[in-house]
Amino acid sequence: MSLFHHAIVLLLCGLCARASAEPLDEPLKPLPAVPQQDVRRVELGRRLFHEPRLSINNTLSCASCHQLDKNGADSRALSLGFDGKPVAVNTPTVFNAALNFRQFWDGRVETLEEQSNVVITSPHEMGSDWHTVIERISNDPDYRRDFAATYPDGVTQANVQQALASFERTLLTPGSRFDQYLLGNTDILTLEEKYGYQRFKEYGCIACHQGVNIGGNMFQKFGVFGDYIADRGNPTVADQGRFNVTRDEADREFFKVPSLRNVALTAPYFHDGSADSLEKAVDVMFQYQLGRTPTEEDKRLIILFLETLTGQREGKP
Amino acid sequence: MINISRRRSLLLLTLVALVLASILLFLYFKSSSDQTMTYTESRDLIRQIKQQNSLWENEILKARVALTHNYDPLVSPMTEMNRLWARFDAIEAGHGRNDSAQWNDAHEGFLQAMQEKIRLVEQFKSHNALLRNSLAFLPTAEDDIQEQLANLSDLDKLQLQNITTDTYDLLLSALEFAQLTSDDRAADIEVGLNKLKVNAQRLPPAFEAPIKIMSNHISLIAREQPLVNQLLESIENIPVAERLDTLTTLLDRDQQRADRIDRQYHFYLLLFSVLLMLSLVWLAIRLIGSFAEINRVNTALQTANDALEQRVEERTRELRDAQSELLDAARQAGMAEIATNVLHNVGNVLNSVNISSDLITRKLRNSKTQGLGKAMQLINEHPHDLGAFLCEDPKGKLLPGYLNQLVGAIAQEQQEMVDELNQMNKSVDHIKDIVATQQSYAGANSMTEPLFINELLEDALRMNAGALTRHHVTVVREYAEVPQVMGDKHRLLLILINLISNAKYAMSDLSNRPRTMTLAVKIVDDSFLEISVKDDGEGIAPENMTRIFAHGFTTRKEGHGFGLHSCALAAIEMNGHLTAHSDGPGKGALFTLQIPLISVTENA
Repeated sequence: MSLFHHAIVLLLCGLCARASAEPLDEPLKPLPAVPQQDVRRVELGRRLFHEPRLSINNTLSCASCHQLDKNGADSRALSLGFDGKPVAVNTPTVFNAALNFRQFWDGRVETLEEQSNVVITSPHEMGSDWHTVIERISNDPDYRRDFAATYPDGVTQANVQQALASFERTLLTPGSRFDQYLLGNTDILTLEEKYGYQRFKEYGCIACHQGVNIGGNMFQKFGVFGDYIADRGNPTVADQGRFNVTRDEADREFFKVPSLRNVALTAPYFHDGSADSLEKAVDVMFQYQLGRTPTEEDKRLIILFLETLTGQREGKP
Repeated sequence: MINISRRRSLLLLTLVALVLASILLFLYFKSSSDQTMTYTESRDLIRQIKQQNSLWENEILKARVALTHNYDPLVSPMTEMNRLWARFDAIEAGHGRNDSAQWNDAHEGFLQAMQEKIRLVEQFKSHNALLRNSLAFLPTAEDDIQEQLANLSDLDKLQLQNITTDTYDLLLSALEFAQLTSDDRAADIEVGLNKLKVNAQRLPPAFEAPIKIMSNHISLIAREQPLVNQLLESIENIPVAERLDTLTTLLDRDQQRADRIDRQYHFYLLLFSVLLMLSLVWLAIRLIGSFAEINRVNTALQTANDALEQRVEERTRELRDAQSELLDAARQAGMAEIATNVLHNVGNVLNSVNISSDLITRKLRNSKTQGLGKAMQLINEHPHDLGAFLCEDPKGKLLPGYLNQLVGAIAQEQQEMVDELNQMNKSVDHIKDIVATQQSYAGANSMTEPLFINELLEDALRMNAGALTRHHVTVVREYAEVPQVMGDKHRLLLILINLISNAKYAMSDLSNRPRTMTLAVKIVDDSFLEISVKDDGEGIAPENMTRIFAHGFTTRKEGHGFGLHSCALAAIEMNGHLTAHSDGPGKGALFTLQIPLISVTENA
C-alpha cells in the first residue's frame, strides 16, 4: 500500500517537474493577493491597531495580544484582559484572519469588523464601550483630522471598525515555501517535505485543514475519538465551543478549525492553548481527531511539511 | 366689456394650459420612476442568489461524494449569497417594499431558510469531513489487520480464516452502509463489530490497537453516515430556492402592477397631452383670430385716418381760403382805414390850405392894384398935359404921392401873399408827405430822423393856426429844454395835429371863459420824451374813458372815430403810448404821449 503511495507521489512529482510553471490542483490553495484598499484607511487601521485607548483603562491595544512580531498571536496560552485576568481562550493569530470563514474560535461573527466590536466591548478583554472609544479618538486632533480626511462622516464606530478591518486584511503572509510549491515551483520543497504533505493528506488531516487558509473554513468537534477536554480536565464554559453561540447540543465542543499557516510559529495551540509544542499538537490531533496512530517517521515528515507553511510578512519570515 | 371678457377667457385658457402642463410634469415624474430599473436589478440579484444557491448545493454534493476535499467552495457561495442579498435588500428597502406584510413574510422566510441552511451546511461540513475521512481510511485499517493476521501462524487456520472473513465482512458492511444506509445494514455493522470484539479476545494483544482503531472508525461511520444523510435531506428540503421564487413572484406581481399603473400614467399622459395640444391649438386659433381682428381694425383705422386727413386737408384749404379772403378783406379794410386816415389828415391840412387860399383870394380881391388902374386912368385923361396935370391939377398933384403909397401897399400886399403862399406850400408839402407816408404805411418801418420837438410842435400849431385863431384859442407853451431827438416826424405830427385839433373842438362850446390850450414837452426819467396837450374843454365822461381809443368811437356828430385810434396805434408803433386823463365832464382833458427818448448823439 505504502509502495503504491510512493509511486503516486513520484508520479505526481514527475508531473510537477514537467509542468513546473503550472499551479497545482490541490485541496490546499495558495494565498491570494492583498486586496486593493484605501491606503489612508489602512494607515488609520494600523494606528488604531496599536491604540491602547481602545481599552477602557488605556492598557491594551489589539497589538497587545495579537503581537505582530510574534506572528499576530500571543505566546501565552491565555492572554490577559484589561483587568489583568486571563481571557477565556487562546489568542488566534491575526495573520491571514481575513481568510477565515468566521472569526473567533466559536465563529460567533462573520467579519473582521464585527470581531473588533466584540473584543472592544468584551468585559473580559478590552472592557470598553463605543461611546468612550469614539470620544477618546475624537478628542485626539490627529485622529480627528485623519478620520475627517478619510471618511466623510469622521470618527464613528463603523469607521473605526472599518479602518481596523482594512488594516487586518493586509496582514497576509504570502511567500511560504508551500505556496510557492502550489504555484508550480515544485523544486522548492525537499523530498521529505513532499512526503510530509503526502502523509498529511493520507492521514486525513486534509479532511479539515484544507482550502486557501489550510483550515478556517469549517467547524469541527474537538475530540472525535475520545474526549480531549475531559482528558485534559477542568472543563470551562469556553470549552463548550460553538454551543455557546448556537445553544445546539450538536454544536457542543465544536470549534472553528484553525488555519495551519505559520503553524510552526504560533505555539501554544488549541483554543485553550493546552499544546505548547507542535509535536504535542500533532499528537493530540492524531489521537482525538483522526483516531489513528502514526509512525514516528510519518509524524516527523508531517511536522517538516507544516514548517513549510510559514509565510512572510513585509518580507520577514 | 367684450375686451374684459376676452381677456378673462384668455387668462382662463392660460391657466388651463398651465394646469395641464403641471399635470403632465407630475405624471412624467411619477411614470419615469426607476421602478422598472429596480425591478430588473432586483430580479437579476435574485437570479444570481439562486445561481449561487445551486452552486452551493452542487458543491455540497461534490463534498458528499468526496470528489473534493476543499471546503472553501462551500463557504464562498454562502458569502456571495449574503453579499447579493445585502445589495438586494438595500435596493428594495429604498423603495419602501418592506411596508407590505406579504413582502415581509417572504423576506423573513428567505432569511430564515438561509440561516437554517447555513447552520445545516456547517454541520454537514463537520460530519461529512469525519465520515469521508473514516471511509477513506477504512480499507487501510482493514488492511493493517489483515496484514497482521497473515503473519500469524500459530493460530488455527479455520479460526484465522473466520476472523479474516468477519473483518472483511465488516468492512464490506460499512462500505455498503455508506452507500445504502438502512437499519438492516446498521444491524449488520453492529453484529460485525461485536464479532470483531470477540475475535480480538482470541488474538494476540498486538491486534488490540488496530482492531480498536478500525472499530472506532466503523462506529463513526455507523454514527455519522445517517447523520450526514439526514443533514443532506434536510438541506435539500430547505426551501431557499422556493423562498427566492416567492420573492420573484412578488417582484413580478409588483412589477405587473407598476406596469399597469405605468400604462395608466401613459394613458393619462397621452390624454393630458392631447388636451394641452387642443388648448394650444385653440389658443393659436384665437391668436390668429385676434391677429386678423387687429389687422382688420388696423385697416379700418387706417382708412378712417386717411379720410380724416383728407377732411383736415380740405378744412385746412378752406380755412386757408377763408383766411386769405379774410386777409384780403382785412387788407381792403386796412386800405379803407388807411384811406380814411389819409383823408382825415389831408382834410386837416387842407383846412390850412383852404384858409391860406381864402386869405390870398381876399387879399387879391381887395388888392391895392386897383388903385393903380385909377391912377393910370387919370394919367390917360391927360395924355398931353401930363406934366401940367401932375403939377397943377390938384388931383394930379396928389397922384405921385398916391402912387408912392400904392407902391408901398402893393409891396406889402405881395409880401403877405408870398408868406401865405409859402404857408400853403408847406401845407401842400405836408399833404404830399402824408400821402407818401400812408402809401408806405404797409411797409410800416418807421422812418426816424433827427428833429427838434419844439419845432415840430410849432409846425403842428401852425397847421392848425387858422382854426385856433378863429376859435380864439390861447396856446400856452411849456417847453422844457429838450435835445435833438430821433423821431418819426410824420407820426408825431399826425398825433399832435389830431390832439390839437381835438383840444380845439373840445373847447368849441366854451363861452364863459377864455379857451386855453397848454402844450408841454418834458423828459421823464431820462428815458422818455413826454408831450402833453391839455385843454379845459368839455372833458371825458368816465364811461367813455375806456373806449376813447377804440376804432369808430366818437362823440362828435361829424366825426368818424378814427383820430384817436390811429394816434394810439401810431404811438404804439413808435414803442410809445398815448394816454388820456380827465377829471370828468366839463373839467377838461389831458392827453399825454410818451415815446422812448433817443437823442441824436446817442444814436450817432
